[in-house]
Amino acid sequence: MNPYRSAATRRNVILMTVAGLLLLVWVFPLIWAVIVSLKSERDVLAYPPTLFFDPVGRNYADALFGGFSILDSLATSAIVSVSTTVLTIVLAVPAAYAFARLRLPAKRSLGFYTLATQMVPPVGLVIPYFLILNRFSMLDTYTGMIVVYLTFSLPFAIWLMVSYMEDIPREMEEAAFLDKASRIKTLWHVIIPQVRGGIAVTVIFVFLNAWNEFLFAVQLGGNNVRPVTVAMYNFVSVEQTLWAKLSAAALVAMLPVVIIGIAAQKQIVKGLTVGAVKGGGRR
Amino acid sequence: MREGGAQQGERRFALLLTAPGILVLFVTTTFPLAYLVYSSFQTINLAMPFLDGFAGFDNYVQMWGDPRFWHALGLTGIYTVSSVTMQVVIGLGLALMVMQIPAGQWIFRIVAILPIVLAPVVVGLFWRTLMLAPNFGMVDFLVQWLGFEQINWLGSPIPALVSVIIIHTWQWTPFAFLVFLASLAALPGDVYEAARIDKANALQRFWHITLPLIRPAVVIVIIMRAMISLHAFAAIFAATGGGPGTASEILNLYAFKTSFVELNFGYGSALAVALLIITMAVSAILFYVRTPRRREAAA
Repeated sequence: MNPYRSAATRRNVILMTVAGLLLLVWVFPLIWAVIVSLKSERDVLAYPPTLFFDPVGRNYADALFGGFSILDSLATSAIVSVSTTVLTIVLAVPAAYAFARLRLPAKRSLGFYTLATQMVPPVGLVIPYFLILNRFSMLDTYTGMIVVYLTFSLPFAIWLMVSYMEDIPREMEEAAFLDKASRIKTLWHVIIPQVRGGIAVTVIFVFLNAWNEFLFAVQLGGNNVRPVTVAMYNFVSVEQTLWAKLSAAALVAMLPVVIIGIAAQKQIVKGLTVGAVKGGGRR
Repeated sequence: MREGGAQQGERRFALLLTAPGILVLFVTTTFPLAYLVYSSFQTINLAMPFLDGFAGFDNYVQMWGDPRFWHALGLTGIYTVSSVTMQVVIGLGLALMVMQIPAGQWIFRIVAILPIVLAPVVVGLFWRTLMLAPNFGMVDFLVQWLGFEQINWLGSPIPALVSVIIIHTWQWTPFAFLVFLASLAALPGDVYEAARIDKANALQRFWHITLPLIRPAVVIVIIMRAMISLHAFAAIFAATGGGPGTASEILNLYAFKTSFVELNFGYGSALAVALLIITMAVSAILFYVRTPRRREAAA
C-alpha cells in the first residue's frame, strides 16, 4: 500500500471529523429546537433529556391558533418588512446609480455621509425616536416603525447597490446616450436590468434585517404594532416554562428567514463578500 | 459649449436621483441624532418630569464619576475584543479546514447561513432555554454528564459574561467563515504550486502566502464585526438582560436601561453619545490601520 495515500486518507478522516464536530456545534441548537418543539410539556421537562418520545403537533397548533397566537405578529412583521424593503429599494437604487456612475456634486462628502450614518448605534436612535414619536403620538404606529427602519436599511442598501452599479460595463450606458435616449429611460431600460441580481441581494438583506429587528420594535411598538421578534420575547416572560411552545413559535417565526437563507444562500454569501470588500453591512 | 451643457444636465439629474435618499437619511438619522445630543444636555426624567430642564454638562460629569459606566465600558471592550477575535480565529480555521475537504463543502455553506439569518433575539432565547437553562439545557446536561459541577450559566456573574460572548460568537462566526471561504476560493492556485516546489510546509505556506493574500478580507471582517459587537443588543437582552446585576451589561444595554427602565432619558442620551463617540473612534482607528497597508500593496 502506498504510504503517502494512507497518510492522506488519515489526514482527511481527521479533517472531516474535526470539521464535522464544529458543524454539529452550529446545527445542534436548531435541531434541538425542532426536537423540543415536537415534545409534549411532560417530555420536555424530563431530565436527562430524552431522545425518544411520542411527537406531538400541538405546540405548533398552539403557537399559531392558541391563546398566544403569533399570527397577528407574523402579519405585522410582514407589513413592516415589506414596506421597509420597497421604500428602501425605491430610494436606494437611483441614489446608488448617481453615486456610482454620474457626475454628482459633492460626491465624496455625500458618500462619506451615507457611510457614517451606518455607524450610528441603534440605541442612540431609539432614545430620540421614543421622545419624538411620543410627542407626535406616533409610537406603536406602522408609519413610525417603517420610518425608523429606514435608518438602518437605507445607508446599507445604497452602499451595497453602489458596488453592483460599479460592475456594469461603461460602454452600455454611453451607447444609450448616443442614441439620445432620455436619462430616465437609460436608468430604467439599461441600468436596472443590468443590476437585477444586485437588487435581489439587496432586497434579501433589507428584508432579513427588518424581519429580525428587535431593539426598535420592542420600544417603539406596542399592542398595535408588535413584530414577531417582540412576540417571541414576550412569550418567555409570559410563559416561563412552556419551552416546547416557545420553540415551536420561534421556529415558525424564523421559517421565512430560514427559507430565504437556504434558497438564496449563494446570493447572501455574495452580498456578504461584496460588503466585505467595499465595507458595508450592519445588523 | 454643448459638452458643458450635457455635463450640467448630468449633474442636475444626479442630484435629482440622490436627493430623495439623502434627504430621507438626513431626516431619519441626523435629525434624531442632533436631538440625542441636545437631550444629553437636558434633564429628561419621565419619572420626575418636574425636574426637567437644561442641565449643561451635568450628565457628562455624572458619567465621569459613575462606576457603572466604567464597568459597562470595560465589559464592552472585553465583549468586543474577545468575540471578534474568536470569530476571526475560528472562522478562518474552519474555512482553511473546509477548503481541504474533497467533497461536501456545500453542507458547511448551508449550515453556516442558518445562524446568520436568525434573529439575534431568538438566538438569545434559544440559548437561554434550550442550551443553558439549569436542569433543562443541553450544555448544562453535558457539563454534568462529563462529571463537572453544575454551572448556573446565566445566573452567576462570570459565566453570564462568558455565555453572552459565546452566544455572539456562535451566531456570527459563520459570517467570518463564509467570507474567508469565499476569499480562499478566489486565491490563485499557482502560488501554492510554487511554494510546494520550494518545499514550504503547511504552516509556512499559511503564514507567508495565504495570510498576506487574504489580509484585506481579515481586516474588513474585523471592522464589520467590531461595529456589530459594539452595538450588540437583542441576544444579550434576551439571554441575561445585562445581568445578573450588571455582570453582562455592556454600554449599549446600560444606555437602554437608563432610558427605558429608569426613565432617565437625559443621562441615557449622554451614555448613548458616549457609545457613538467610541464607535467613531474605533472605526477611525480600524480604517486608519487598513489604509496604509493598501498603499503599500499598491506601491
